Amino acid sequence: MGRVLLAGSLLLSAALAAAAVAPATLIGKDAPDFVLKAMDGRNLRMSEFRGQVVLVNFWARWAGDSRQEMPALDRINTTYERAGLVILGVSVDEDIVRAREFAGAMKVSYPIMFDTGSTIGRDYLLQKMPVTILVDRSGVVRYMNVGFKRGDERAYLDHIRELLRE
Amino acid sequence: MNFMQPVVPYIARAALLSIAWTAAALAAPAAVGASPAAGTAISPGPAPAVATAPAVVPAATAPADAPGTTTPPGDVKTLDQEVQGLKKDVIDLNKDLFILEEELLFPANTQVALYVSMDVGAFFALDSVTVKIDNKVVANYLYTAREAEALLKGGVQQVYLGNLKIGKHELVAFFTGKGPVERDYKRGATINFDKGVGAKYLELKITDRVAKHQPEFTIKDWE
Repeated sequence: MGRVLLAGSLLLSAALAAAAVAPATLIGKDAPDFVLKAMDGRNLRMSEFRGQVVLVNFWARWAGDSRQEMPALDRINTTYERAGLVILGVSVDEDIVRAREFAGAMKVSYPIMFDTGSTIGRDYLLQKMPVTILVDRSGVVRYMNVGFKRGDERAYLDHIRELLRE
Repeated sequence: MNFMQPVVPYIARAALLSIAWTAAALAAPAAVGASPAAGTAISPGPAPAVATAPAVVPAATAPADAPGTTTPPGDVKTLDQEVQGLKKDVIDLNKDLFILEEELLFPANTQVALYVSMDVGAFFALDSVTVKIDNKVVANYLYTAREAEALLKGGVQQVYLGNLKIGKHELVAFFTGKGPVERDYKRGATINFDKGVGAKYLELKITDRVAKHQPEFTIKDWE
């Protein structure tokens, strides 16, 4: 009887620990709204792109993967912008001057915004960089990718095409 | 306890309505497939939804492909009216709850609301507004092109709703944007006001001063 109880309690604690460790996700939830100043001086609000497929890329100058991901996203933007895709790059660098320099050097065609606060990062559950999120036409997060490795852009394209068809 | 007193009737109404709503929701599909031949007895007159529900239940057991399965339009209409009535009740209740929530969170005695309005805007393109009350930032709002356009078309935006205790307070609003000749422009406006008993409404107004070719920023106290 004692062993059964012990085994039961161990199983329960293991299940609780697993639940606690399971990463929180935004998939299936409404994308948190935010408004930020873009590099060209415009203020852009996430919710104003409702009706379009939105890809939000959170990046940081110090994250090596961002250097690879941004040109890939730029290529996607060039192709799918006319089909209704909006790409927003959001820098989470604290040093806005150096982030601007970095963004300028990357020469991407989509808007780059700068977030120096902590609210957006918290809302979007950012823990690592870069993070890419795909939001459908009704404002719901449908895909989330943390980090970037070669080949990820194909997965992005698959999801983008699927969302654009909806 | 005083805090809960006004809520109790609303909770009771909400519970009753939810029961009635559930009953009506269950009854509605059954009524559509109801057959008079099977002895369906939908009360013809307006009756409470809860009372109607048991009468409709036998219809659900009637064979779907029974001959002559047409529902009398009058009965359907009555049920539809009841459902519409319930929907209206739910909307009214929701409105009451919203007002109650506002009253509880921002009681009139301490409520302060700030609004932003723009007139003409030939000399100023609004970018952001920062509001400080008693040297504490309470609102910081970045305007997109669409929002600024909405203000120019006569829209009034509630930029802040909060609580303030009775007494003297100072409000400082900073407006940033593009001024005449596309120059970066930052101006402030200050008002000292007395918060008495009752809600306080202040309007941050951006107007054009044609004589000086400059924008003007004022704060109006709506007594």
